[in-house]
Amino acid sequence: MKIAVLVKQVPDPNAIRYDRRLGDLVPGTPQATNEYDLYAVEAALRLKEQVGEAEVVVASVGTARETLNRCLAMGADRAVAIEGPSLPGDSLVTATVLAAWLRREAPDLIWAGQETSDAGTGNVGPQVAALLDIPLVSNVVGWEYQDGILTLEREIEDGHQFQQVRPPALLCALSALDEPRLPTLRGIMEARRKPSERLAPADLGLSDDDLAPVVSWGGLFVEEEAAAGVVLQDVDPDQAVEQLIAFLQERRLI
Amino acid sequence: MGQARVLAVVETTGGEARPASLELFGAGRTLADRLGGELVALVVGSGVQMVAELAGALGADRVLVADDPALGEPVAARAARAVEAAISAADPELVLLPATTLGRDVAPLLAGRLRAAHLVNCTRIEIDDEAVVATRPVYQDKLLTTVRAPRGRRVFITVRSGAFAAPEPQASRLVPVEPLAVSFTEADRLVTVTRLVEKPKGQTNLESAPIVVVGGRGVGSAENFRLVEELAAAIDGAVGCTRAVSDLGWRPHYEQIGQTGKNVRPKLYLGVGVSGAVQHTVGMRGSDTIVVINRDPNAPLVKMADFAIIGDLFEIVPRLAKRLREVRGKA
Repeated sequence: MKIAVLVKQVPDPNAIRYDRRLGDLVPGTPQATNEYDLYAVEAALRLKEQVGEAEVVVASVGTARETLNRCLAMGADRAVAIEGPSLPGDSLVTATVLAAWLRREAPDLIWAGQETSDAGTGNVGPQVAALLDIPLVSNVVGWEYQDGILTLEREIEDGHQFQQVRPPALLCALSALDEPRLPTLRGIMEARRKPSERLAPADLGLSDDDLAPVVSWGGLFVEEEAAAGVVLQDVDPDQAVEQLIAFLQERRLI
Repeated sequence: MGQARVLAVVETTGGEARPASLELFGAGRTLADRLGGELVALVVGSGVQMVAELAGALGADRVLVADDPALGEPVAARAARAVEAAISAADPELVLLPATTLGRDVAPLLAGRLRAAHLVNCTRIEIDDEAVVATRPVYQDKLLTTVRAPRGRRVFITVRSGAFAAPEPQASRLVPVEPLAVSFTEADRLVTVTRLVEKPKGQTNLESAPIVVVGGRGVGSAENFRLVEELAAAIDGAVGCTRAVSDLGWRPHYEQIGQTGKNVRPKLYLGVGVSGAVQHTVGMRGSDTIVVINRDPNAPLVKMADFAIIGDLFEIVPRLAKRLREVRGKA
């Protein structure tokens, strides 16, 4: 069995700070592996452990050296970095690049994180599934693999829905899955000897047209909260309550 | 018949429209008028005739109904096939879907298949001659950005829950309702649903209550929620809670407001010990008046509030409940 996992390196969500002047993140924000992707890697490794004979290949579009090394140290067998001046582009470009690589690899199963913590479109998984014309199961919080059939537990608005599918399929992981393992020292040592490949879009037969984005981004900004309401601070509780009662009466809410 | 410019995809559950679907008409009518064309609704589900009428009353010029037992449960590939059939029938420039788990599967599936743009989880949508421009949250809702897709090709837009208000239904509005046949392929049937473990619904009128009193983690314990209940009783409000509170087991899940809970738009939202994490505020953003009692002046909810008292809720809430009973003649 071959299992592919799609991962992304993102600005560390716990370290991001906004620079109002630049209209962007403060330069030099530390990078991290997208959290949902680590859950996807963990799920792939556990499936490999269950079935015995399997290969786990991690792939990323854009710069992701630390992320791919971490996945190898967790236990993935092989890493592929797809880099190029126009990458990562928009989600459709990313999905197009990944789909081209996946056609070449023909894995039995593909895991991805539900969305990234940066752009957070959640587009790439479904778009890859669409481009490869394989089933999509998103929002996965639990899985079982038995007799060649995957049973996926999904968290949706109505509750927990259980879907079944026979691979190949693309699965999108949420963080209610098994906790991702930490790389061990031995894992880190072994990772250095594992195969790691760097590809350019041209290696996958992609043209400039394939790499033309359909969505462009403006700068980042923050919403100034409009309410500009009354804020009572250091006011005696009885007095504060009286003012609130008066406010509610004025608005005819009581 | 005018030209279809906007298709609004109405997602249903158990034969009823999801509230987020109805909000599409708030956005969709304005966009269709701006583009000088029709707003076409597609109702997707099983046993959804009533929803088709509602779509007309909410402002659709024409309603397509994909009513099929296979569409009665949310499965991305099947719903995508229904939306694809509606696109063929109506040829819209914009396709609006609610940013639900299903909508956020279907939109990128079709955008991938048709190599079209998908503007995700949008809170504002504008159109000029060159592009569709939308505002959307990024970096886990900490920041916003604008995304642009050029005009002249189809654009999928998922609309964030709570960003637009659903219009008032106008019962007198009669519009054509047409069944839409959907042919599923073999590939659409590869995923099967084996079961659904439903969230307990509970007995609460939270979503329709004009006044909602919400307790957050700051309330401190299940026992302390007595204060929140007392306050709710004094003002005739329904009790709600945040995800942290229901995760801790202090309150039942059906009282939870926010991303994985209920959406409320009361006349008065009164938050007690609620800091206002985005996961919560997406479910209450549309409230008319927001009142907050919190210890932390920097809590996001304080910034959203029309009236905030910074202080110890254990000092303020009992006094407020008592005064409300007096003022409202319930003492």
